[in-house]
This record gives sequence, C-alpha cells and structure tokens, in this order.
Amino acid sequence: MPEKCRLTVKRTMNGFYIGISGINAVDNPGPGIGVARSLREDTDLGAKIVGLAYDALEPGVYMDWIVGKSFILPYPSSDGDALVERLLYIKRNHGLDVVIPNLDAELPLYIKHAPMLADNGIRTFLPDMRQFRLRGKDRLCDIASRINISLPLTKVVNSVDELLRAIEELGLPVMVKGIFYKASKSYTAAEAVAHFHELVAEWGYPVILQQVVAGDEMNVVGLGDGEGNSLGMVGIKKLSITALGKIWTGVTVKNARMLAATENFIHEFKWRGPFEMECIVNGDEVFLIEINPRFPAWSYFATGVGINLPSRLVRRAFEMPVPPPPRYEAGKLFVRYTYELVTDMTNFKKAVTRGETP
Amino acid sequence: MQKLARLAISEEGFVFDPASGDSFQVSQTGLEILAGLKNGKDDGEISRWLLEKYEVSMEDALRDVADFIACLKNAGLL
Repeated sequence: MPEKCRLTVKRTMNGFYIGISGINAVDNPGPGIGVARSLREDTDLGAKIVGLAYDALEPGVYMDWIVGKSFILPYPSSDGDALVERLLYIKRNHGLDVVIPNLDAELPLYIKHAPMLADNGIRTFLPDMRQFRLRGKDRLCDIASRINISLPLTKVVNSVDELLRAIEELGLPVMVKGIFYKASKSYTAAEAVAHFHELVAEWGYPVILQQVVAGDEMNVVGLGDGEGNSLGMVGIKKLSITALGKIWTGVTVKNARMLAATENFIHEFKWRGPFEMECIVNGDEVFLIEINPRFPAWSYFATGVGINLPSRLVRRAFEMPVPPPPRYEAGKLFVRYTYELVTDMTNFKKAVTRGETP
Repeated sequence: MQKLARLAISEEGFVFDPASGDSFQVSQTGLEILAGLKNGKDDGEISRWLLEKYEVSMEDALRDVADFIACLKNAGLL
C-alpha cells in the first residue's frame, strides 16, 4: 500500500512594501496615517509602510512607529511623469509593491498610470477614470437618482450670470462649491459672487451651487471590489468638528437608508477601491452631499470597530482571499487627540537634502 | 414603536439611537416609562403603574406620561 503523500505547504511572507500618501497628520489631516496604522494592525501582511510625502515637515515622516522610510515626491503635475519616475525609483532602490494614494489631486494621475505601474510591479486598487469622473460634484445628480438617495437642489454654473440665476431658484443661504475642493455657505448674493471668483481662481470652472439642507452630518467609508460587491463599510455621525470642518469626535451609526444607498452605489457603479460618502440625514430622508474617491482622514475609525478596510484593500489587490466583512456595532465612539513628538534633525536633514529619510 | 425597538438603553438611563447617532439622558422614571412603551404598554397602563408606585393622582400620572411621550416624539424616538 503506497504511503500517503503528506504535502505541507508553508508560505513565508516577507511582507509588502506599501506606499502611503497623505501622511500630513496636521489640523486638516490627510488620511495616510490612519491607513498606515490600519495596515500595521494586520500583522499577517507584514506591512512595511513607505511614506510618500510632498513636504519634509509632514508629521508622518517622523512617526517611525507607523511609517518606515519616507520619500519626498514631486507635486502631482499635469502629466504625472515625474511622479511615476519617482515611484519607479522607490521600487528599484527600496521596494514598493502597492501604493494607496490618499489625496484627491493625485488620484487622476495614479488612475491614468495604473497599468504602467502594474507592469512595473507596483499595484493599485482604484476606480477607473470613468468611475472617477462620474462621482464628480457636477455629476452627483445622476448618481443620486440611480442609488435611491435624495440630492439637495444643485446647479452647475460657469458664469456670474448663471450664478445669480441659480440663486434666484435655490434661494439663500446657498452652498458654493469648487469642482474639486472647498465649499462655503453664502448668505447673500454678493458673498456668493465673491466665493465664486475665489473658487474659479483656485480650482477652475464649473462651480456648484447647492441648496442648504438641515440635518445630521453622517458619512460612510466603504470599499468596493470593482465587481459590484462591498468589501466592507462603516457609517458614522460627526459629533464635533474643527473650525476647518474636520471630524474631531464621532459615533458609529447604522442608518439603514444611508447604508442601503451606499450598497447601491457599489453595486450600480461597480466601484473599485475606497471611498467616502458624505450625507446629511434629516429624519427618514438621506441627502447625498459628496463622494470622495479615497479613504477619509477618519478611516482608522472603521479599523477600530473591526473592519480594517486598508488591509482588505491590499489583500484584494494581491488576489488574496478576503472574508466577508464582520458586523460592526453602532454606538462606538471616535475621539481624535493631539500629540507631540521630539526628535533630532536626522530625518528632516535627509528628507530636505536627499529627498528620503534614512 | 419601530424606532423605540432599536434604541440601546442602559440601566443608568443613557439612551442611544443607532440610526441617528443621537444620545439622550432620561430619569429613572423616564427609563421605566420607556421600558413600558418598549413592552407594548399603552399610556393608560403606564399611568396606572405610576399611580401604584408613586404618590401621584391619576390625572397627574396621565399628564406626566403624555408629556414624556411628547418629549420622545419631539426627540424623534417615537
């Protein structure tokens, strides 16, 4: 009788080099540190965090218990060639298996160059350009109707004339929003015109005008697999915010309509990658305010309640099995706090002179 | 009643609504009334129970329960 073949497979994992941008943990924090912290909590990944900074003074460059080695990147420019060249340098000289870009301005470049990066052994897990454009502030009307969620009355304007006509329709106060960033509440037409000019100068046309809706500010962080399935999501309500409108304390919630709309979004648009859905909830009505195509700065909140989305993203990017997301509990509290560290000038000197930390 | 059923209520009177993220503090009596409502009792049954437990007239008990229910409605909990 032949002896039973005993096959044992022992997989050794040396760990992934994971590039993380948005490590500017300042008063308007980038999402990077929360993402990096989440990845380190999945010890099976053996994540080696590579900090991708745009300034030598980004706090993440010095947070060596979270970020390993950091590199200074060129600012994301129109074609992104310099950015890609820098990533390939990091790949050759240090190691870079996957990048999680966390800043809005970077995303079009990473999406554009994703196939080329993949050919060079640098993976990403991002929406395609069509999906990215679809969730633009000027296209939210299409999304809202398809995912069964309300949208505050919205007008896209390209001139002061159009702006004034839109104000007549929407009334005052009104939200005046840039195509990529920034939103201001205007109480008079003159104030709205001033905001319009500021936004055009900074972010270009068009500008979005939106009716102000009352209610609680609730958000969802989620991750889509690109095939219409959710890899996990967590809903929260902001309990207090900073002067810049950033969350300082929050609580997990399970608002059925908001979570259903988020599921619909992933399913309907086959969203691939992380996203943040910003909503205003007023009783039974849920208004869609914005969809950000990246992790929010508070994404560690989801990890803290058991749903480690960055880890699930990396596992999916490497075609590793991703189990169904566990359920999270409503009523868990998020409290941000300030912290200081004192260090010598080594990292700063090297980052400034050589563009990378030791 | 559907909203009431989803509330998380602690023994100390801390009430959390998982759908809205709102939290409230209720008194011991309020806590007992909430428990009664969750168990499907109507305001008359709850008022009679208050009458047995506290030195209060039926008229006052009915009014207090009605006031408390109005507060719950105003807070979006009913």
